[in-house]
Amino acid sequence: MSDGELRTDGGATTDVRWNLEGVTIEDAALYIVLLLAAAFYLVPIESGLVTSFKTGTAIVETAPFAPPGASGLTFEKWGSAIDALLRGMGNSLLYAVPATVISAFVGSITAYGLTIPTWKKSYKAVVLMLIIAGIFIPYQAVLVPLTQFWSQWVQLGEALSFVWALGIPNDYAGIIELVITHVAYGIPICTLLFRTYYKTMSEEMIESARLDGATLRRVYRRIVLPLSGPMFAVVLIYQFTQIWNDLLFTLVIVSTESSPAAPVVLILAGLGTSLEGQDFALRMAGAFFAALPTLAVYILFGEEFAEGVAA
Amino acid sequence: MATLELDSITKTFQDGDEEIVAVDDVSMSIDDGEFLVVVGPSGCGKSTTLRMIAGLETITAGTLSIDDRVVNDVKSQNRNIAMVFQSYALYPHMSVRQNMSFGLEESTDLPDDEINQMVSETGEMLGISELLDRKPTDLSGGQQQRVALGRAIVRDPEVFLMDEPLSNLDAKLRAEMRTELQRLQNNLGVTTVYVTHDQTEAMTMGDRIAILDAGELQQVATPLECYHEPANQFVASFLGEPSMNFFDVTLEGDRLVADVFEYPIDEDVRSDLGDVTDLVLGIRPEAVELVDEAGDHEFETTVDVVEPMGDENTVYLHFDPDADPEHAEALVATIDGFNRVSEGNTVTARIPEDAVHLFDRATGEALHNRSMEDAAEQIDL
Repeated sequence: MSDGELRTDGGATTDVRWNLEGVTIEDAALYIVLLLAAAFYLVPIESGLVTSFKTGTAIVETAPFAPPGASGLTFEKWGSAIDALLRGMGNSLLYAVPATVISAFVGSITAYGLTIPTWKKSYKAVVLMLIIAGIFIPYQAVLVPLTQFWSQWVQLGEALSFVWALGIPNDYAGIIELVITHVAYGIPICTLLFRTYYKTMSEEMIESARLDGATLRRVYRRIVLPLSGPMFAVVLIYQFTQIWNDLLFTLVIVSTESSPAAPVVLILAGLGTSLEGQDFALRMAGAFFAALPTLAVYILFGEEFAEGVAA
Repeated sequence: MATLELDSITKTFQDGDEEIVAVDDVSMSIDDGEFLVVVGPSGCGKSTTLRMIAGLETITAGTLSIDDRVVNDVKSQNRNIAMVFQSYALYPHMSVRQNMSFGLEESTDLPDDEINQMVSETGEMLGISELLDRKPTDLSGGQQQRVALGRAIVRDPEVFLMDEPLSNLDAKLRAEMRTELQRLQNNLGVTTVYVTHDQTEAMTMGDRIAILDAGELQQVATPLECYHEPANQFVASFLGEPSMNFFDVTLEGDRLVADVFEYPIDEDVRSDLGDVTDLVLGIRPEAVELVDEAGDHEFETTVDVVEPMGDENTVYLHFDPDADPEHAEALVATIDGFNRVSEGNTVTARIPEDAVHLFDRATGEALHNRSMEDAAEQIDL
């Protein structure tokens, strides 16, 4: 595409260019635009990061994006943020990890059932339609039924009384409720993503496995699942970020930041706000700290993610 | 090893309100250890037939039996069939060894070391021993093809099914694999059904060939029978390259009258025709001779195009020198490569009476085929 490439088709580019050691005006303009765009997107992050290392006076005296300078530098806010958020971090992992993994697996199996085995197309279409419809239900629309469901119909707090007898605070029923709720809400999108991926799998390969004597279950276990790696990366990253960052369900199900089972988002929401005003440095440090796990997941599955997105 | 019996097999697909007949009442039986090639143009139902044998498509009507056991409702994985696909369909995440063991692991209770040994032996037989630890993506097309073959062979199935297994290879490799596949099948003695659209593969590989067109079985016979005694005009035109010459002719007394020539026939040929008068005369290009003398079966023609092939030349001849070469009926002849004719020459072409085929123009059915006396000896071999 670029001008560096040799043209072998014999055609000549007719527009006049201002050549400067191989760098054309177009190239330069492209890079300038790209740099500006990068800066545009990075400045808020950079501002947040430098703010998190500033003392109260430095925040007032320096521009938001300027570094704190020697006198205004402090790590104290990070310390307080970590102290405040650490227990929430544990609670969040407690539901985000299982909910992510379970919804991905259930989505994968559902998608497998909807693509590979042969059953009546008209039935398949109806089941698929119902599942896809699940994607478009806004969270806000289900908040009331959700509360009713967990407080009146399924009372996990009472059902699991033997667990609380072991000394675990019964607030942790909220964590289990969050896992189930997030799995239920994750299945449609996970199914859709996996289905798209399985549609592209070679039919002949699956047929070949069937002829080799493998049952449907074995085909999934030995052929389809091992080949799903890239799509699992996509789904895991997507679902983990969604679930980790979700505030709405945690507000409805766990509700108070003082609860021992309070997830990190709930604590973060109130961090650094008081009657005296906002502690910007603390809020920034908290936000960055709370975002670390999602960043880690991206880095962990980055390579497969790229492959999965390309597919 | 097994016999395979197709009895009035029919497959229809539903497309909206329309019913599409993909395979129409096909019956044939394949002997134990036989190599049957199913051949036909694309869309003729040959792959669907194969997929029904494999159990990948349901059978709409008719019965399919392996060794006298009706298997219509037996699942693919319980039919003890191995199939080689056109795309090879290797499992990309598994090594060659794992690819080949997969079938044995899934369909038998053999211990791992025994499976390993069988895979190694098969690998040796196919000359892919050194590839066993590689992944399919690291292999060339030809190597992948061998692995796909090995995966089928190692399972020692009752029936091999092959769906155009050679069509993704280059011409040279394809010719090599053709010979090798035949040798392998001969040694293993496994009943094989081989689907192809390539008439060279059909002619050279099969013990018998089954020719399908539009879902209907046209003929099942040995390659030479199909070639020399085609059941109908479709079979005659499908086999042979360049394909048979056809001329619409009308029977008038003891003469066949075409637009551009008249061809007298003797009583033997005449008696085969019954009272059908609208006929098609067929003659294979290699049966046409260029001669010096004139006679009843010799025609003066003009050379339009010469295609030198090295050992032989394909020449396109016209009966009427003044005709527009784009539209005039051409007589194609293959002649010796050293026989020098050039475009524009006038030559005498002989259409030998013992080599002509006559078809009913309405039904396409063959009424008279060339004398098999000369070919009979070859068939007996």
